[in-house]
Amino acid sequence: MPVAASAIYFLNLRGDVLINRTYRDDVGGNMVDAFRTHIMQTKELGNCPVRQIGGCSFVYMRISNVYIVIVVSSNANVACGFKFVVEAVALFKSYFGGAFDEDAIKNNFVLIYELLDEIMDFGYPQNLSPEILKLYITQEGVRSPFSSKPKDNKPVPNATLQVTGAVGWRREGLSYKKNEVFLDIVESVNLLMSSKGNVLRCDVTGKVLMKCFLSGMPDLKLGLNDKIGLEKESEMKSRPAKSGKTIELDDVTFHQCVNLTRFNSEKTVSFVPPDGEFELMKYRITEGVNLPFRVLPTIKELGRTRMEVNVKVKSVFGAKMFALGVVVKIPVPKQTAKTNFQVTTGRAKYNPSIDCLVWKIRKFPGQTESTLSAEIELISTMGEKKSWTRPPIQMEFQVPMFTASGLRVRFLKVWEKSGYNTVEWVRYITKAGSYEIRC
Amino acid sequence: MPPPAASARYPSPSQPSGKSEVTDLKSQLRQLAGSRAPGVDDSKRDLFKKVISYMTIGIDVSSVFGEMVMCSATSDIVLKKMCYLYVGNYAKGNPDLSLLTINFLQRDCKDEDPMIRGLALRSLCSLRVPNLVEYLLGPLGSGLKDNNSYVRTIAVTGVLKLYHISASTCIDAEFPATLKSLMLHDSDAQVVANCLAALQEIWSLEASHSEEACREKESLLSKPLIYYFLNRIKEFNEWAQCLILELAVKYVPSDSNDIFDIMNLLEDRLQHANGAVVLATVKVFLQLTLSMTDVHQQVYERIKSPLLTLVSSGSPEQSYAILSHLHLLVVRAPFIFASDYKHFYCQYNEPSYVKKLKLEMLTAIANESNTYEIVTELCEYAANVDIEIARESIRAVGKIALQQYDVNAIVDRLLQFLEMEKDYVTAETLVLVKDLLRKHPQWSHDCISVVGGISSKNIQEPKAKAALIWMLGEYAQDMSDAPYILENLIENWEEEHSAEVRLHLLTAAMKCFFKRAPETQKALGIALAAGIADFHQDVHDRALFYYRVLQYDVHVAERVVSPPQQAVSAFADTQSSEIKDRIFDEFNSLSVIYQKPSYMFTDKEHRGPFEFSDELGNIPITPEASSEIVPAQQYEANDKDLLLSTDEKDDNKGLSSNNGSAYTAPYESSNISSQMQELAISGPAASATTTQSSFDFDDLLGLGLSTASVPTPSPPLLKLNPRASLDPRAFQQKWRQLPISSTQEYSVNPQGIAALTVPQSLIKHMQSHSIHCIASGGQSPNFKFFFFAQKEAEPSDYLTECIINSSSAKAQIKVKADEQSTSQAFATVFETALSKFGMP
Repeated sequence: MPVAASAIYFLNLRGDVLINRTYRDDVGGNMVDAFRTHIMQTKELGNCPVRQIGGCSFVYMRISNVYIVIVVSSNANVACGFKFVVEAVALFKSYFGGAFDEDAIKNNFVLIYELLDEIMDFGYPQNLSPEILKLYITQEGVRSPFSSKPKDNKPVPNATLQVTGAVGWRREGLSYKKNEVFLDIVESVNLLMSSKGNVLRCDVTGKVLMKCFLSGMPDLKLGLNDKIGLEKESEMKSRPAKSGKTIELDDVTFHQCVNLTRFNSEKTVSFVPPDGEFELMKYRITEGVNLPFRVLPTIKELGRTRMEVNVKVKSVFGAKMFALGVVVKIPVPKQTAKTNFQVTTGRAKYNPSIDCLVWKIRKFPGQTESTLSAEIELISTMGEKKSWTRPPIQMEFQVPMFTASGLRVRFLKVWEKSGYNTVEWVRYITKAGSYEIRC
Repeated sequence: MPPPAASARYPSPSQPSGKSEVTDLKSQLRQLAGSRAPGVDDSKRDLFKKVISYMTIGIDVSSVFGEMVMCSATSDIVLKKMCYLYVGNYAKGNPDLSLLTINFLQRDCKDEDPMIRGLALRSLCSLRVPNLVEYLLGPLGSGLKDNNSYVRTIAVTGVLKLYHISASTCIDAEFPATLKSLMLHDSDAQVVANCLAALQEIWSLEASHSEEACREKESLLSKPLIYYFLNRIKEFNEWAQCLILELAVKYVPSDSNDIFDIMNLLEDRLQHANGAVVLATVKVFLQLTLSMTDVHQQVYERIKSPLLTLVSSGSPEQSYAILSHLHLLVVRAPFIFASDYKHFYCQYNEPSYVKKLKLEMLTAIANESNTYEIVTELCEYAANVDIEIARESIRAVGKIALQQYDVNAIVDRLLQFLEMEKDYVTAETLVLVKDLLRKHPQWSHDCISVVGGISSKNIQEPKAKAALIWMLGEYAQDMSDAPYILENLIENWEEEHSAEVRLHLLTAAMKCFFKRAPETQKALGIALAAGIADFHQDVHDRALFYYRVLQYDVHVAERVVSPPQQAVSAFADTQSSEIKDRIFDEFNSLSVIYQKPSYMFTDKEHRGPFEFSDELGNIPITPEASSEIVPAQQYEANDKDLLLSTDEKDDNKGLSSNNGSAYTAPYESSNISSQMQELAISGPAASATTTQSSFDFDDLLGLGLSTASVPTPSPPLLKLNPRASLDPRAFQQKWRQLPISSTQEYSVNPQGIAALTVPQSLIKHMQSHSIHCIASGGQSPNFKFFFFAQKEAEPSDYLTECIINSSSAKAQIKVKADEQSTSQAFATVFETALSKFGMP
């Protein structure tokens, strides 16, 4: 039976219970003590997010300064449990206005209890959609929207359908003065490069994030320059595909609002969007990734007390674009005593707590390069034969209006029966995921 | 929300920190209860909030129960919700007070606002007070018929809750039938989903004792119903989709068209953003196509991509859950993932539990085309800061070396590790080089020259030290200074803490002696002397044994200690394929994460006694040995022995010292004999045979440890051998071969049931009747025993499986016998013996 949880606990870092809810009687109330003594107070913490103690399994996650622990005694569905926690946290965040931490929980515990009752019943997850829950779980104390006595003259939407029904993610009767859609393509580039400059692994995980302020029940259609979609389109319109870059998506997943049957037959992304912010789709690309930065490190160990570090960073995106918030973390040995460095742009600093030279460049234009050269003096440790294991150089950056995959929005059509005009905004941004260069 | 945790920390409500506040609250609530002044709701809200916050931090506020109920007469929905929460928390502990709440909850169940109706109904069902069950029936019945779907969803789960409080009430009220019709006809998806969840649970729990429920359970898997759900799957929310997919897994398709229809219906689910839905779909696909080999493979290809995406998105915990499943698939079909090896490269900042899984996957998928890249990558990790991961990756390199035919390049890498001069790297590598040499002796030349250069002083870990010593002994002729290194080690005998190392040292000294006698003689002498004086039983025994064998004949000694080595062809797999299949059947559950089937970790009560009755191979067989074992240990052993079949790796080590240290036999003579057997057989099952041999010796020496001191009362028709012995393996084998000659059910007298609570009591009792226990296990109410007996003066065995249910006071007996003719007589003896159990 795919029970997701028998009980759920919210603990702070010391192990105090902030909130607890038992859904089924098959786990005892003292289970949280077992979690405290066997996991929180031992080195086990963080070793494995699923642990068994006694007859119970603990599935836990840390989110900011809170541990969320799910307890089950049967052979539960773990993926479902984790997903439930993630979704629940997203729900709480949308209620608390973005923050989820110990204080937020303490300030809203009554609300959380209420929500916990709504989103799961007897261990089975129910509706977790913030859009719908916000309709009737409030701390305002108003009568619910089901109430037969509407307070003002607003038409009472059909709440029955909304709470549990087919289009569970959108309610009827929304209206906006200005109909706007915001679409962001956010990509993170993951790179693992060997010290010789070979790309060992490289992929892009992208998200299409949307923010919709649209009246009524609009139908949206999104066209991208992905290969399958373009081919399908040219096939249907029986005209040759336009030349230009097409992107091959390795895998795509969609928000539940996307009509997957239509995607499979026509390869178009069509959907009735939820109101407000949501993640429309996720994709992954491994072929033809444009790396925004090249990093060329040379590290020389001169004897036992001196090192020379030279790192050159090249931006390889368009000259009109620029990257923001570039941070290059260059690892140095623990016994670093003194550092001397010059940089051509930005500022660098030695941060002993993470054993890194941290080099920050606020704005990095395209098609340029920048170097850091440093001399490092080490404390000589007698008898210490251990050589330094060189951790990789890590990079953080954001490149607006650039996609590492080359993905572009070709069109975004909004159709609603009242036929209003909409304003569409499209943005692109590429961020560093895990961008590692071995040295 | 169980109060016990709270009361544990605050032992009594009279604790100073809580008491004054609680009394304060009490009086304040009392004042407000009757008041109808404007704004009173706001002050009530504050008070309620306070009560609930106390409740959350663990202060016992159950004493304000009465006042809370009085204040609950309000139309403010927020107040009502807090009140429900409070009541739900404390009702179970205060059944009498709960009666007070029934009234207002029942009234609220008829409120005009469906929200309140629903909430009240949920609270009513969550009280969990068995004697209030009768009050549930009415509200539940009308809740199921409510015209608002919100109320109906709650009522449906309410039925399930009722079933768990009182199954009979739920069944008698015919709620399952109502749920079934709701499931088929309700227009609301969530109601339908909850019906499905509730019915699945109710019917599978009922199925064990009701045929009708069993039929109903089957009917859930009928073709029309499955298609009814699958066709509308898009109408359900993501969580309910998981539920439906889980149901579809159990469906047995009628033909291949059926299979393809379902897969077509579900293919788009693989694109769902919710990982749980994707995994559930994957499970359906995998299970459906099990019988169609090539389609099954295509399924692997199809699901690869979505799973890899899921791994790379979401929190590390989520990707861990997905990776565990991917791990299972990778191990099952490594060739399909061979080209995707780069996806399993570790990132520097990943948590170690993710890295560990990735390392195992890299090991599994290494083949001729990608070995070079994978091993190169693994070597990078050997320099990792995280020592545990560094070790794992060296082990991974070693495993790949053992899998591959072309080990040339890998051997070089391993030897490079030795040059890194890090203690733990060297230690791990030595163990690997040892294993590698056992499989590929042809590499000895390259390895030995490097290993010879390692200073034994730098190696501290027992396993590594033992490996080095083993190599010194085995290749004494190739390493010029082997005798001197050994001599050095032997001189420091006293400082060597690990018995394993000392055992290896003895053997290595012997081997070295056979090859280079003049140089080693002195060292061997010292080693044997030190060994015989050793306080560790096994070391002492081995030294003594070597000494005596040498005294007897040096050539015999050489044949025993240093026979010509044969290369090990394959190392034992750690898990049987049967267990792996079971885990695969339980895809998308905790089993995959723990990498063991669910029966090994879920509560024993969940297992039920009959699930494994006919497959003895899977069930615990604990050698009962003698009655000396402390009961606590006994039970622990029962828990562990489930793993017996999985733990047999490494048994084919030629001179394994593990076997020796796994037990401690009490008598010198028996231990030497076991040593002899170990050496002579030097194969698997050594530990089992040694246990057996110690039995024999006990008998020989007339120590009568396992025999009965009480004479058999009133000689029965059949005379049994009071000193019968049978080793567990022989038992297991016989049990498989022999047919059941009689099956009976007896009732056990109440005294017997009472005596059963004392561990070992039944075993001792039966022993006094010359019926010996070979294995036992189980937990109240189901106990399971395996007994055996032997006919006096004849080697004819009787094997019995006995399942006692302490709640129904019944014992089920299955007898298997060598001699069919006397099996009935034995059954009578058994019954007589059992009937006397518990009698003074």
